[in-house]
Amino acid sequence: MQYKITHTTTYQYADPVSVCHSRVMMTPRNDSRTRCESHRIKIQPTPQVVERREDYFGNLVHCFSIEESHRQLKVTATSRVTVEALQLPPLPETPPWETIRDAVANAADADWFPASLTTFDSPRVLRDATFAEYAAESFSPARPIVEAAAELTERINHDFTYDTTATTVATPTDEAFQMRKGVCQDFAHVQIACLRSLGLPARYVSGYLRTIPPPGEPRKIGADESHAWLSIFCGSEIGWVDVDPTNNCICTTDHVPSAWGRDYGDVTPLKGVFLGGGQHELTVSVDVEPLE
Amino acid sequence: MSQTHTFQNYELESFCDELFDADGRPRPGASLLIETINSLPPGELTRRKSAIDRALLRMGITFAVYGSEEGTEKIWPFDIVPRIVEAYEWSHIEAGLKQRIRALNLFINDVYHEQEILGDGVVPRDLLEDAKSIREPCRGLNPPRGVWCHITGTDLVRHSDGAIYVLEDNMRCPSGVSYVLQNRLLMKRSFPQVFSASRVRPVIDYPTRLYETLRCLAPGHVSEPTIVLLTPGIYNSAYYEHSFLAQQMGIQLVEGRDLAVKDGFVCMRTTGGFERVDVIYRRIDDDFLDPEAFRADSMLGVPGLMDAYRNGRVALANAPGTGVADDKAIYAYVPEMIHYYLDEEPILPNVPTYVCAREEDRKYVLAHLDELVVKAVNEAGGYGMLVGPHSTADEQREFAQRIEARPRNYIAQPTLALSRVPTVVDDHFEGRHVDLRPYILYGEDIWVLPGGLTRVALKKGSLVVNSSQGGGSKDTWVVARTDDEAAEVATPL
Repeated sequence: MQYKITHTTTYQYADPVSVCHSRVMMTPRNDSRTRCESHRIKIQPTPQVVERREDYFGNLVHCFSIEESHRQLKVTATSRVTVEALQLPPLPETPPWETIRDAVANAADADWFPASLTTFDSPRVLRDATFAEYAAESFSPARPIVEAAAELTERINHDFTYDTTATTVATPTDEAFQMRKGVCQDFAHVQIACLRSLGLPARYVSGYLRTIPPPGEPRKIGADESHAWLSIFCGSEIGWVDVDPTNNCICTTDHVPSAWGRDYGDVTPLKGVFLGGGQHELTVSVDVEPLE
Repeated sequence: MSQTHTFQNYELESFCDELFDADGRPRPGASLLIETINSLPPGELTRRKSAIDRALLRMGITFAVYGSEEGTEKIWPFDIVPRIVEAYEWSHIEAGLKQRIRALNLFINDVYHEQEILGDGVVPRDLLEDAKSIREPCRGLNPPRGVWCHITGTDLVRHSDGAIYVLEDNMRCPSGVSYVLQNRLLMKRSFPQVFSASRVRPVIDYPTRLYETLRCLAPGHVSEPTIVLLTPGIYNSAYYEHSFLAQQMGIQLVEGRDLAVKDGFVCMRTTGGFERVDVIYRRIDDDFLDPEAFRADSMLGVPGLMDAYRNGRVALANAPGTGVADDKAIYAYVPEMIHYYLDEEPILPNVPTYVCAREEDRKYVLAHLDELVVKAVNEAGGYGMLVGPHSTADEQREFAQRIEARPRNYIAQPTLALSRVPTVVDDHFEGRHVDLRPYILYGEDIWVLPGGLTRVALKKGSLVVNSSQGGGSKDTWVVARTDDEAAEVATPL
């Protein structure tokens, strides 16, 4: 499946901004199933300095500074990406989840080291017994890992209400968990907390989701989403499997990852510091266009 | 009223003493000083002591105590009797510190790159990834010369067995060195003859050495680098030291708002416009350095600084992220680091440490709270700690709860019988517990300041030497080896 993705972020300021230092993480990753064919970031006004580098997790980061007065900042990231379908063994044939947990903890799995990084607490996701309890219902002893993970994904999707007013980007994971409400970021954080509390490696993925229009209606340009889900380590044989608790699915060709980290804080698509500006208004539009 | 201070009735009380051996005889380096004090005319020591107190007040040598109601600035309490370190013992300490700093730097570099020491299971990975002091934006950084920690102040103590132990490595922004220089100035005035005759190694060149260390970090193409000292401002407890060091080195003292990143370079606002800055001796914590990379609410830092640093356009001393080696739970593994990176035996031992994150250690700690010193891993300055033998049952219960709730945040160590130095108490001398903080500079080479800050717990029996908790300080005399080392001479003023 090939897509053309356009991600536009616009800040409109009431007062002039004199200086702005920002970083962008909007470049799709090259991975086992995804290939970024071409990519372009356009920043208006033109920055004085642009640098690109890879962060610790291998995500591509663009850092830029604008040192002239401006009232509007517009960042447009355009990419062309190929995504291949996920190949999974039948779920009941995947390994018992405890074997993965132990292989990572005891350095027995070939990929234990990179995987173990995502078993610990991170700034926004703290392990806790209440998460482990909630997860244990799906993770019964010796249950195949992907089967258990898929059920947990389904339960979160069922038990939680998608509510854009209940939480903000700063809501702690345990609060969202108690409210049983939130958006994709909260859903992903909750499931990550559940998995890590069981000792399983889970990472946070930010990226894009293709939305299928209702039958008979045309695809609306710019109505797609900048999205977030998570990825579970299932042993070096299977690798990482992405699941999306917001949409209750195992991710395959509708999800295009652009960055992953321990939680949202590692992969914020656009963040920075600006001086001045007063009140500001933010608009984001994402367009995921399938190419035949 | 005239009083005679002599050592005739001085009691060792079974503690190890820095000036007297176990039989009560003065140690070789200290005999001249003790003789002199014993033979001073009545009232003379009191006179010299009050001259020092007046000088401290006049020179404005102060520090600030956070949360104190009597005003923040306090006069630095100073005791007239110095600590004296024999030449042979100093060589041992110096070699031990150099070894430790090399290993710790290799560790920090490893942690932010390949993490081999974790992969090989020498340091447990969970301990490190759960450390509050690990800084994500530092992963993959390559500081100039591969050195992360250019300025260290390591705390040493002597236990009743006579051996010197490392208590903590202060690798973030260690403070106190200005007091070392000022204490020395005061001592030379008070005992000019004894000082000159005792052949004490100089500390006066510290600012020059520090300047050279900072200078060698400048980006390669800069021949006359601009160096600045970045302070959080006048409300910081060590502001006196920041201004003193900047003045001694002849560099600008700046706050975050004086700096800006222009075209990818760090610049200082001057009356003549922006001037490029090449090296920053920063005395503000990582979290506040750059709101873009670290704490977004920091008003003290410089947005964009980390990007300039990452691109090698400015040098920072110390590098951000060094706090990870300063974590008190990581500290427990320094001897293993020395074996791992250097394949050497540690010269200076650690104080035995119970890491509460390890279940066995935690059980032991909870059962022995009345004997141990419990410390929060991320606190400094004597805050957040429990001294078991001096604590109440309530305090112990409170700490037990805190440890159970977040074991990773606590370590415990046996209560050490710190060595003592005679200290003036009213009209006589009494032993008071001390520690020692030597300062280590790592630029082109590693250099250790001969001596360092001797902190003394002025309360009788107290083991807490931090200035924020009622501690004072003393001059530290490192005796020169007979022929090859320079000694400092007191010139009459």
